[in-house]
Amino acid sequence: MSTTQTPIHATRLRSLQALGIFCGFAAGAWLGGAEAPIKLVNPDISPVTVSLITVCGVFLARWSVPAFIRGTSHVRNDVRQAPHLIVWAVLAGCMWAVANTLTIYAIRNVGLSIAFPLWNTNSLLGIFWGFLLFNELHYAGWKRWLGVIGGAVCMFAGATLLAIASSHEAAPGKAALGIFAALGAGILWGTMYIPYRKAYLTGMNPLSFITFFTVGELVTMTLLALGYRGANPLWHELTSARAVLFWLMLGGFVWVIGDLFQQYATKYVGISRGIPLSNTNQLWGLLWGILVFHELRGASQSVYVQVAGGSILMALGAVAIALSSATAREHSSWQDAADREGARYGVEGEYVRAGMEGREHASGSTRRTLIDWILILGTTALFVVLAAMAEFPRMEISLTWAIALSVAMFALLATCGIALWRTTKFR
Amino acid sequence: MNTSTQNQPRHLFRAIATDIHFWIPVCVLVAGLVLLDKLS
Repeated sequence: MSTTQTPIHATRLRSLQALGIFCGFAAGAWLGGAEAPIKLVNPDISPVTVSLITVCGVFLARWSVPAFIRGTSHVRNDVRQAPHLIVWAVLAGCMWAVANTLTIYAIRNVGLSIAFPLWNTNSLLGIFWGFLLFNELHYAGWKRWLGVIGGAVCMFAGATLLAIASSHEAAPGKAALGIFAALGAGILWGTMYIPYRKAYLTGMNPLSFITFFTVGELVTMTLLALGYRGANPLWHELTSARAVLFWLMLGGFVWVIGDLFQQYATKYVGISRGIPLSNTNQLWGLLWGILVFHELRGASQSVYVQVAGGSILMALGAVAIALSSATAREHSSWQDAADREGARYGVEGEYVRAGMEGREHASGSTRRTLIDWILILGTTALFVVLAAMAEFPRMEISLTWAIALSVAMFALLATCGIALWRTTKFR
Repeated sequence: MNTSTQNQPRHLFRAIATDIHFWIPVCVLVAGLVLLDKLS
């Protein structure tokens, strides 16, 4: 019997499941809020350039946030234990970059409040991959299956309703392109959860995974931007976009906070539950779009009914899936999948088990080094400089609602961050 | 168990290349790039 086969204590399993669910909701708030700064940007800038600048913000956040939370020395420990995950993380980062670029086409063609739910169908794909490849929902019982399947059907119906509403929102001829872009992003993100699950079944810390993940993101995005724009036009566009660099990179930074919570949700409740939960970002996106940016203003009542009805259906579906939490028996089948990964890639059993239980592995070291402080201070200084150069866009937004939603996001960040620290020390 | 043989780059790359889980995301990534090309 392998080290990972001893069942996790029931109390510990319950607290990790609750933590994963909480992380999923916090992820929803921050992933939803991340699209707001991007809406502030002049639509004359090409989507590829917008995506490249956003990914630069993402890159900085994915190194500086782990440096701030635990220090980057733990990354070395994780790589020593599971070096193959570098390849998986870079692959996932490449997928993220392509999906992110597609979402910008989607937002421009069908609007934020429509595009969001469409690419959030990625959770359906996440459930499928979780079941097929990682033993999720095995031995789950008919109630949990009903919750997951019923939730999935609800979410699909909601997405369809919103797609119908998109024909009212988009410019003529643009709706189909926007829908393809949003669904394409959904498929890429849904499949990107395969590397996520591989990493967390094997015991890797999310804070380590994202540092390599972001290398794939930045390299792919730079190649895409150079390929589609050319070096000189790209440079010209970047320099002329000085006033909006801050907003785009801020969007990337906010996204990383949400993604980090999503990674912890994936780790502790699996992709079949964690992803639908973090897809409550659709509701946050809807709130930002309608309350702050006055999207759908002037639309007919039937459009409002379609958008609201579709969103509620999707949210109810996500909740139904989330409430179908894993039993001890199902969790033991996750451990089987973890064993398989450990055997294939030669990962130490105790490392895998420590990761699944959210506790420190013996070889762990979390001291911050000079490099960590350089990362933290350098990123902060860069954002201060960009903020000084930034111009507030000339568009009508509701500042009161923007502040109210931001306060709610920070409240979730603080409470979930404390819960993660107390339960796992960000492991 | 983590062994030096299994951590050798050649062994790791062979393990990845023969892992069907690896080729699913790769295929989806290529399809995504094709879609992006059509939209650009």
